[in-house]
Amino acid sequence: MLALVRKQLRTHPSLIPLFIFIGGGATMAAMYLARLALKNPDVCWDKKNNPEPWNKLGPNDQYKLFAVNMDYSKLKKDRPDF
Amino acid sequence: MAYPSMLGFQDATSPIMEELLHFHDHAMIIVTLISSFVFYTITMMVITKLTYKSMLDSQEMEMVWTALPALILTMVALPSLRILYLMDELNFPNLTVKAVGHQWYWSYEYTDFEQLNFDSYMIPTQDLTPGQFRLLDTDNRMVVPVNSPIRVMVTADDVLHSWATPSLGIKLDAVPGRLNQTALMTSRPGVFYGQCSEICGANHSFMPIVVESIPLDHFEYWTHSMLNNA
Repeated sequence: MLALVRKQLRTHPSLIPLFIFIGGGATMAAMYLARLALKNPDVCWDKKNNPEPWNKLGPNDQYKLFAVNMDYSKLKKDRPDF
Repeated sequence: MAYPSMLGFQDATSPIMEELLHFHDHAMIIVTLISSFVFYTITMMVITKLTYKSMLDSQEMEMVWTALPALILTMVALPSLRILYLMDELNFPNLTVKAVGHQWYWSYEYTDFEQLNFDSYMIPTQDLTPGQFRLLDTDNRMVVPVNSPIRVMVTADDVLHSWATPSLGIKLDAVPGRLNQTALMTSRPGVFYGQCSEICGANHSFMPIVVESIPLDHFEYWTHSMLNNA
């Protein structure tokens, strides 16, 4: 299968950017999906040991991928514990 | 505010809306360039007298027209994602206002210091006084201090509604049983209108939102007068 692709690429090198961009886009989407599955506090994998991860949010943690203007180290916790 | 035959956005009142306007200009330039290029290409292909029947392929051209759209899309996506994450950030708000959607009015609760709650009904067309806007003005406005970051929490009492003010660049769905949060900051004093943006029944078009932003000392006077008149 890979040999066939390599043979076609030799006669049609214009397919190389196509592989790069489509492959790159699919990789980025898959990585973001994996990040959401593993690090999003709304997701619960282990019902016995970690049943409700959304109840364990800290005031200084960053849960989003990018922080444009927010300095998370300066935040204080102003909610009561329960 | 909106006016008849309006084509563009309303003037920005919050920094986020300014960012959205700039991004819209950026994306619109790219879209205009692409559309005019396509239009030119199609026109040239339709009115040409040249024919070359043995053209088979062109590897260089294909490489260019694969890489160039990917690059253009990246140039559109990066500012877009930046604004998306910026819209979710709260900048240490001084005030929290709860906007609750009902059928068919909004109610606002300022419960940080005292219990200030009031309803905001649309003024019926037959009761309008000169100078008021039809289907947009309400009896009580949501008053906020100018230039202060405010947290708005939106929810609904019965069915889905949506709290929207285009001038501030805010549209937030009001879901019963759920609290949605957004940051609001008016850069200038004024009155800003919006309308319910999720179908909610017979009077969905008749439950507008009015945000009035005033200087802070006037805001304190307003809260006192609202609490005394309640």
